[in-house]
Amino acid sequence: MTVTLYSVAQSIAQAILGAIASVLPPAGRGVASAPVVTGLAVLLFAAILLVASMLNTIVLIWFERKLLGRFMDRRGAMHVGFAGILQNFADGLKLARKDTVRPREADTLGFWTGPTAYLVTSLILFGILPVSSGWNSGVLPLSLLLALAIFSFAPLFIFVSAWSSNNKYSLMGGMRSAAQMIAYEVPLLLSVVAVVLVSGSFDLTTIVEQQQNYWYGGPLLLALIVFVAAMLAEMERIPFDLPEAEAELVEGWNTEYGGMLFAFFMLSDYVRALVGSYLVVLLFLGGWTMPTWVPSTLTSFPLAGIVWFMIKTYIVFGVFVWVRAALPRVRTDQLLRVGWNRMIPLALLSVVLAAGVVYAKCLPVFGCVPGLGG
Amino acid sequence: MSAAAPKEKPSTNPILWVARPMATAARQFAKSLIRPSTIVYPFERLEDPKFREEVAVAAGKPLGVGAVWDNYRGVHALNIATCISCNLCAFSCPDVCIQMVAVPDAQTKRLKKCPEIDYGKCSYCGFCSDACPEGCLTMTTRYELSATKRADMIYSPEKLYEVFQRKLPMNPIRLERPKNEDAILLDAPLCIGCNACARDCPTQCITMLDIPKPTPKPGEKLPRRIWKEPVVNDSDCVRCGTCISVCPKECLFWGTHT
Repeated sequence: MTVTLYSVAQSIAQAILGAIASVLPPAGRGVASAPVVTGLAVLLFAAILLVASMLNTIVLIWFERKLLGRFMDRRGAMHVGFAGILQNFADGLKLARKDTVRPREADTLGFWTGPTAYLVTSLILFGILPVSSGWNSGVLPLSLLLALAIFSFAPLFIFVSAWSSNNKYSLMGGMRSAAQMIAYEVPLLLSVVAVVLVSGSFDLTTIVEQQQNYWYGGPLLLALIVFVAAMLAEMERIPFDLPEAEAELVEGWNTEYGGMLFAFFMLSDYVRALVGSYLVVLLFLGGWTMPTWVPSTLTSFPLAGIVWFMIKTYIVFGVFVWVRAALPRVRTDQLLRVGWNRMIPLALLSVVLAAGVVYAKCLPVFGCVPGLGG
Repeated sequence: MSAAAPKEKPSTNPILWVARPMATAARQFAKSLIRPSTIVYPFERLEDPKFREEVAVAAGKPLGVGAVWDNYRGVHALNIATCISCNLCAFSCPDVCIQMVAVPDAQTKRLKKCPEIDYGKCSYCGFCSDACPEGCLTMTTRYELSATKRADMIYSPEKLYEVFQRKLPMNPIRLERPKNEDAILLDAPLCIGCNACARDCPTQCITMLDIPKPTPKPGEKLPRRIWKEPVVNDSDCVRCGTCISVCPKECLFWGTHT
C-alpha cells in the first residue's frame, strides 16, 4: 500500500484518539470509533494540506523577490532569516498588527466578504490539485473541470470587493479585472481542451500518468504557450497587471484595503500564481513523473514525486518572474485585442493540432501505445 | 557593437517585442547572478581602494571604515591651533549652521572663537572650507554621522579637532580664482583712533600709526580722539571684515586702491 497524505492523517488521528481512549474510563472508549477517527483524519488532512500549501506560497513569494532582485541587479530580501527567507513572515506579522480601515461609504458586507471569499476560493484549489501520487485528495474524476471552475470564481469576488469599496480607482480596477479575466478565460479553457483531447480524461492524476512517455508540452507546444499567456492574464501579473496598474489606478481594486485584508489579497494573488504554475506542470510538463530515460536513482527516493513536482513548479514560476522582469504593462485595448484576436484563434488552432496528435498517436510510425488515452 | 553604431529601429515583428526584452532581462540576470551591483552597506562599504589601508591604519580602525572617493565631501576637520577666528567660515555658510564658540587655545591658554558645526543643517557645500584663509577647516571623506539625538549632530570645535587628529583623507576645497583686489579703506576724518580694528584683527595686519596732531586755529575745537590711524597690510589681510564690523564710527569700508 502506498503512503498517501490521507493515510498519514488517518494514522495520526488513530494514534491521538487511541491515546485519549486509553486514559478515559470504559464509558468513554467510544471516542476511538471509526466515524470519529475519520472525521479527525479529514480535519488533520485539511490542516496539513493548508499549512504546507501556505508555507509553499510564502516561500514562493520569497523566491520571486530574490529572483526579481537579480533581474534588477540587486539582492532582494536579505536580513531576516537565511537570505531573507523569513522576511515575508515578518511582513505578514506587520500586516496582521495593522488596523483595517473601512471607508465610511463602503458597503460593509461586500467589503469584508470580498477578500475573504477570494482567499478561500483560491485556497480550495490546493485541495483539488494533486501534487504527487500520494499528496492528493483521492480520485476526483473531473478534478480539472472543478479546478478551472473554482479558478474562474475570482473576477466575481474581485468585482464585489472593488465595487463595495466605493472608490473610483477600485471600481475601474474591478471593471478591468472582470473584462480581462473574461477575455482570457476562453483561450485558457480552449488550450486545456487540447490537453483533454489528447489525454481523454478530465482527471488530473490520469493526465499526469499518461505523460510518462512524453510530456504534452512537446506536441502541444502551441497550447502550452497560449495557456501560459492566458494564465499570466488570469493571475493579473505583469505584463497583464492592468487591474492593479500602480501608476494609473493607485493600487487598482485593492486601493481601499489595508492590514490583514490587503494581506488576504496579496496572499491570494500568490496562491493563484502557485496554482497556475501547478496547472502548467500538471497539464504540460508531466506533473510528478519524470521521463523514463532519467536514472531511477533520481526518481525513486522517498517523496521524489513531490520534489520533482516542486522543482518544475518553481522553474515555471521563474519563467513568470522572468516575464515580469522583462515586459512592460500593455494597454487595455492591446490586452483585449490580443485576447480576442490572437489568443482565441491560436487556442482553436491548438485544439486542431491536438486532434492531429490524437490521430498520430495511433499511426504505426509512432507505435500505438495501448491504454494511453486517445 | 561600437558606441557609434546607429540606433536600432523598433522592429515590426511582434515576436521580437517580447523576445528582445526577455533576452535583455536574461542577460542581466546572468550578469548579476554572480554578484549584483548593489553592496550590502553596513557590512560592505563603497570605498576607494587606494585609501583603504592608510586610512584604516591612521584611524586605528579595521580596514575600510568610512573612506570613499578622495573628492567626497564629508565631515569637517578643524585644526584649532591654526584657526585665526576670522569668522569667514560662519560668514560664508549658506545654511547658517556654523557658529563661532569660544574654546581654550592649547598653546596660549586663552579663549578663542572657533567654528561649531550643526550637521543637522549642513549641506556639505564646502564653502566654509573654501573660505578658510588658513586652511585649517577642511572636509574629510568620512560620511557616517548618524546620531540618535539632535544635540549629537552639533560638532563642537573640540570634536572637529578630534576628526582632524584622526588624519582622515582630506578634501581641501580650494577654488582657483583671481586674487581678491578688495581692500580695507579708511574714511580718515571719521576715525577716532580707538584701536578696535587693530585689536580684533585676526591676522594682526593692522597697525596703528601716529598722525600729527594739527594745531587748532583760533576758535576751532579739535575733535576728541587719539591721534592714530589704522594702516592695513594688504598682503597679510585675509579680507574677513572683522575690522569693519567692530569699527564704532563706521569709518572702515570695502574698496579698491585706485
